[in-house]
Amino acid sequence: MKRDGTFYINPYLGGILLGLVLFGTYYITGRGLGASGAVKSSVVSAVHTVAPVHAEENKYYSKFLSDDASPMSNWLVFEVIGVIVGGFLSGTLYGRLKLRVEHSPKITGKTRLIAALAGGILFGVGSQFARGCTSGAALSGMAVLSASGIITMMAIFGSAYLFSWIFKKLWI
Amino acid sequence: MVGPLIPMGVIPETWNNVIALLLGVGFGFALEASGFSSSRKIMGTFFGYDFVVLRVFFTAAITAMTGIFYFDYMGWMDMSMLYINPYYVMSAIIGGIIMGFGFALGGFCPGTSFTGIAIGKIDAMVFSGGLFIGVFIFSELYPLFQGLYNSGNMGGAKIYDLLGMRETVFAFLLIVAAVGMFYGAAFVEKKVKKVEY
Amino acid sequence: MNKRYLLLAGIIIALGVGILFMPAKDTSKQTQPELLLAAIDDPSRFLSTDDITDRLVKKDPALMVIDVRSESQFKAFSIPGAINIPADSLLSASAQEILNQKEMDKVFYSNADVTSDQAWIICKRMGMQRIYVMQGGVNKWFNTIVKAEKPAEAAPIEAMELYQFRIAACQYFFGSPLMASTPKVAADKKKVSVVKKKSEAASGGGC
Repeated sequence: MKRDGTFYINPYLGGILLGLVLFGTYYITGRGLGASGAVKSSVVSAVHTVAPVHAEENKYYSKFLSDDASPMSNWLVFEVIGVIVGGFLSGTLYGRLKLRVEHSPKITGKTRLIAALAGGILFGVGSQFARGCTSGAALSGMAVLSASGIITMMAIFGSAYLFSWIFKKLWI
Repeated sequence: MVGPLIPMGVIPETWNNVIALLLGVGFGFALEASGFSSSRKIMGTFFGYDFVVLRVFFTAAITAMTGIFYFDYMGWMDMSMLYINPYYVMSAIIGGIIMGFGFALGGFCPGTSFTGIAIGKIDAMVFSGGLFIGVFIFSELYPLFQGLYNSGNMGGAKIYDLLGMRETVFAFLLIVAAVGMFYGAAFVEKKVKKVEY
Repeated sequence: MNKRYLLLAGIIIALGVGILFMPAKDTSKQTQPELLLAAIDDPSRFLSTDDITDRLVKKDPALMVIDVRSESQFKAFSIPGAINIPADSLLSASAQEILNQKEMDKVFYSNADVTSDQAWIICKRMGMQRIYVMQGGVNKWFNTIVKAEKPAEAAPIEAMELYQFRIAACQYFFGSPLMASTPKVAADKKKVSVVKKKSEAASGGGC
């Protein structure tokens, strides 16, 4: 095994691993995996700390502040901490730890960062509309054949396909 | 032990966060080891030079789905107790389109950007920062989106019900479609010029 | 094409064929029409006004009395201790949260039997357990408990005891007896407790 960071496991093996983790999550917790939910919980609690009155008045934050709000929101924060730890382990194992900006040779690092920020903002907004992101809504939803999961998945990949050709210069 | 374990009360809730952490480690490892920490590898799916996302994503989905079906059939798990995200027709489609736009610009999705952070990708850190801003913007402007956000609630609808299909038939077709896509992906990859990243 | 991939594809498709032959399961949590019809035919969902009153007096912690009439009617007059969930908001999230308490006996009432029975059917269809209808509704409750009719002198002893129980219950709820004369009720208090025990045994068998 090369440790220069170019080695990736076979994608089907990766998929089976991920599928087993997802299955285990369903078997143990009755829910799927998630990522954007952790961001939402953090934003809600941050806003609640800085401006408690504002958070309670806002109809969106207050949904997640009530006493009977899902305890799973906390769950996702721990899960995301685990994701970072897991990614770090794999990065260490395959020699990929390096502080850098990855970008296409055709664009500057600055352009890449601006595009990444814009993409992040859009993803943040979109994940709230769809009640989950690629992990929480699409992947977990597909495993249980939920309509929301499969429709969201098709919308994400369909629109990403279209827009990626419009913004082709950013990538190749 | 009949699953799901925590809703059935087999595992006490105090273990919740520990389990979350462990499952997260598995999730993060599988994503990073497959190459999801690199935005240019992820974007390969859309340009045809690297279909890793398609392969990992659909393999994971059909693996988990098959596991759930067999466990339910054996009586080891109660499929009807699994949480199903509610389906709000317009909201899901519009959210998906916005996320696709963000995907094309940012090259990550939330889960993969966290693995990018773990190995020191600055673009992943900026992307995650954007996520927080995006969620904040949505929450602040929620009154504007409220109607759209809540319209067309179909509850925890299942795709096969909407298509008027038996669930087992749909599951089988999904597996066949996934295998077909894997075959197609290998075919396209051979034709498309490799991109170094 | 790599042979190992053919093997993997073969395995997953074989598993898929296996799924194809699994028996179709009814994943909907709704009650089947046949079962619902049988449940509607079964009169055991009806509890009498006396039973409910008895359990209210005893402060039965597992009893939840739900007024499905409109809010204005509820405010005008309601059975003490009842909560108001108008029939049209029965499916709202807050109402569902209240109703989704498995360990409670949920008793619906309206003016007569119609609305409460409709509420019962909706909840039954959603798969709820331990739901009941107070037979006769608030009208019967008012006529039997608040305006309890004194049985004739020649009436059997049970009728007399029931009457006294109703009077006492009314006094319990509203403070002053509306119909009975004060000394009589005071004299009968011991008897009332005897009657209560009796009806406990009866309702214990019924639930």
